[in-house]
Amino acid sequence: MIAIGLSLIFGVMGVINFAHGQIMVMAMYVSYWIFVLLGMDPYLSLVIVAAVIFALGYLIQFSVVNRILDYPEAMQVLPLVSVGLILENLALLLWGPDHRSPQTALSLKTLWIGPIMIDVSRLIAFGLAILITILIFIYLKKTTTGKRIRAASDNRTGAILVGINVDRIHNAAFGLGAATTAAAGVLLLPLMPISPHMGHDFTLTAFIVVILGGMGNLIGALVGGLILGFAESVSTLWLPATLKQAVSFSILIIIMLFRPQGLFGGKK
Amino acid sequence: MAKITNNGMDRRTFIKTSGIIGMSVAASSFGVPTLLRAAAPTIKIGSVQPATGPLAVIGVGQRRGNQLAVDYINSLGGIKSMDGAKLELLLGDSESKPEIGRSEADRLIRGGAAVMTGPFQSGVAMAISTLCEQRQVPFIMDVAALDKITDKGKKYTFRVFITVTGLLNGGIKYLKMVTDMKGVMPKRAVVTNTADAFGKGMSGGFVKFMEKSGLPIEIVDRVEYPLGIHDLSAEVARIKAAKPDILFPVSRPGDGIILTRELYKQRVELMGIYGPGSPGWYEPDVIKDLDKLIYYVMVNVPWINPSSPVYQQANAAFEKAHNRYLDTNSAYAYTGVLVIADILERAASTDPEKILAATRQTNFTKHPVVGGAIQFDEKGDNTGALTALIQIQPDEDLLKRVKIVAPKEFAQSDKIIFPAPQLWERS
Repeated sequence: MIAIGLSLIFGVMGVINFAHGQIMVMAMYVSYWIFVLLGMDPYLSLVIVAAVIFALGYLIQFSVVNRILDYPEAMQVLPLVSVGLILENLALLLWGPDHRSPQTALSLKTLWIGPIMIDVSRLIAFGLAILITILIFIYLKKTTTGKRIRAASDNRTGAILVGINVDRIHNAAFGLGAATTAAAGVLLLPLMPISPHMGHDFTLTAFIVVILGGMGNLIGALVGGLILGFAESVSTLWLPATLKQAVSFSILIIIMLFRPQGLFGGKK
Repeated sequence: MAKITNNGMDRRTFIKTSGIIGMSVAASSFGVPTLLRAAAPTIKIGSVQPATGPLAVIGVGQRRGNQLAVDYINSLGGIKSMDGAKLELLLGDSESKPEIGRSEADRLIRGGAAVMTGPFQSGVAMAISTLCEQRQVPFIMDVAALDKITDKGKKYTFRVFITVTGLLNGGIKYLKMVTDMKGVMPKRAVVTNTADAFGKGMSGGFVKFMEKSGLPIEIVDRVEYPLGIHDLSAEVARIKAAKPDILFPVSRPGDGIILTRELYKQRVELMGIYGPGSPGWYEPDVIKDLDKLIYYVMVNVPWINPSSPVYQQANAAFEKAHNRYLDTNSAYAYTGVLVIADILERAASTDPEKILAATRQTNFTKHPVVGGAIQFDEKGDNTGALTALIQIQPDEDLLKRVKIVAPKEFAQSDKIIFPAPQLWERS
C-alpha cells in the first residue's frame, strides 16, 4: 500500500516522492497520538489520520511539487528529499528519538489453525490493504475527480485544454497518494515500534516494489509488494536475515535487466 | 537514497551544532571581561558524545549527565585546590561516527580542553584516544567497552566504564549463580544479535565465554538480523524451530519489543530470556509498552545504584531538569565528570603530567553506579567496575519494575524468578 501511494504519485505527476516513508512515519505518529491521548484504536482512527495526511500531501504538492514539475528529474529529487528531512526532524522534535510501540487491543491477538499461527493484526492489515486498493481503483475509474486525475496523468496538456484545473488535480492526487501511505502506516502501527528515523527504509522498499510492478501501475504495486514480501520471508529460511535487503535488491537488478518496464508496466 | 539523506541531515546538524558552539565560544571570549576571567579561571572539559544520528537518544543523555556533574561541582565552589576554578563543558558531537568524533575532539582540544571525556561508542573512543595520545591530553572515558581501546600501552587513556571482557565475565557469573540457586539448568539456547559491530562482537564473545564456562548449555542456533529491523516473524519462527530452553539476546533499543511480541504470538516456550549485556529491555518506554510481557527478563548490565545518596541527589536534579530519571548511561557520564573533578582537585593543576600522576592515584568511592571504588590499573581500566544482574519484576510503579537482584550488597529484591511463566500465561 505504501507502494501504491508512491505509484499513484508517480503515475500522475511523474515525480518520485522521496519523502514517502517520512510521510508514513508522520501518519504513524498522528495515529499514535490519537491512541495515547484519546484512547482510540488505530483501526478506528484510520480515516482521521488519512484525512490529516491527505491535507499534508495536498500542502506539499501545493507548496513544493507543483513548482518543480517541469524541472529535470535530478532536480526534482532534492526538494522532496528536503521535505523528507524536514518531516523526519519534525517528528524528532515533537516525539523525541525513543522507540514507541503502544499495545493496542489487537496487537497481540493470534489465530491458531492446528500448528499454524495467523497474526490477527497482519490479517487485518492484509484485508484492509486489499479493500483500500479496490476503493482507490473504483475512485479513479468511476468518480469525476478520479477521471480528472487519470486525464491529467495521461496527457497533461490535453487535460488543461479541456478545462481541468490540473494544479488542483495534482494536489488531490498527491494528497490521495499520501493518504494511502498514511493508511498503510496506521495498519503497521500495531506491528512495529515507531521511531523518527525509520522512514528511509520504507521509501526504498516502496521504490523497489514500484519498479517491480511497473512505474505508475497500481495493480503492479500490489502484486509487486506481495512478491517482495514473500521473497524476503522465504529467504530467511535459508539465508541470514541480514541478507534480506540483498534479496530485494537482487530482485530489483534482475527486473531492471530483463524487464525494465516492470511486471505490469506498459510501454512508455 | 538513504545515504544521500543521511549525509544531508548530518551535515546540516553538524553545521548547526558547530555554529551554536562557535557562537557560544565567541560569546564567552568577547562577552566576559578579561579581568574577571583571570580572577576565576575555568577548566575546560571536552565532551564528545553521539548527540545526533542513530544513537542520539543516548548521546543527548550523556551530555546531560556530563553537564549535570559540571553544574554540581561548580555549585560546590569549583576546584578548591585551584582557587575555586570553575569547570566548563565544551560540547562535541560525534554524529555516531569515528572520523567526526576525532575531528570534534581535535576542535575541542584546540579550544583549550584540559581533559577529554565521552564518547559512548568504542569506535569513536579508538579514534579520540589516538588523538589524545598525540596531543598529550588526558582522556577519561565515561562509557566505551571494547577492551582494545586501552591496549598497546596508551598513556593518556583511562576508562570509568567496564570492559567487554568484564561484561561477559559478569554475564556468565550471574548465569551460573541463577542456575545454581534455582537448581534448574537450561539445555538448549539460541543467541540472537543485531548485525552491528557491538552486536556481532558481544554475541561472538558470549558464545566463546559460554564454551569456556563449563556450563552444560548447548547453543543450538545463532540468529542475526540487521540493526533497525521492523519485523522479526521469520527470525522467531527459526528460533521456535530450534526449540531452545533459554534465549540470549544481544539487542538494541527497538528490537527487544518486536522480539518479545513475536515470541508471544508464536508461542515460543522458554524458561526465560537472559540478556548477556545489551540495551532494549530496561528503558522506561519499553517497560511501559511491553507491560507483563517483559516481566522476568534478566539482563547483565553496568547499572545505577539507586540506594546511594550520590545517585539520589543526582537523580533528583536530573529529573527536575529533564523530566526523566537518570539512567545507567547518563549516570556513567555523570560519574566520568565527578572522577575528573576529583583528579583535578588532587592534581591542583591542568598540566597533563600532573593530571596523569593524580589519575593513577585515583580511589573514588562517592559515585552513583553499581561497583567498587574507582581505581585505574596499569592499562587505565577501572578495577572497581562491576555489572549488576537486573530482573524486570511486577510492581505497581512502572519505574520500580527494574530490580537489581545481584550482587547482594546492591540488591533491591532478594528473589529471582526463574524459570519464568510462559509469555501467554500471564493474564
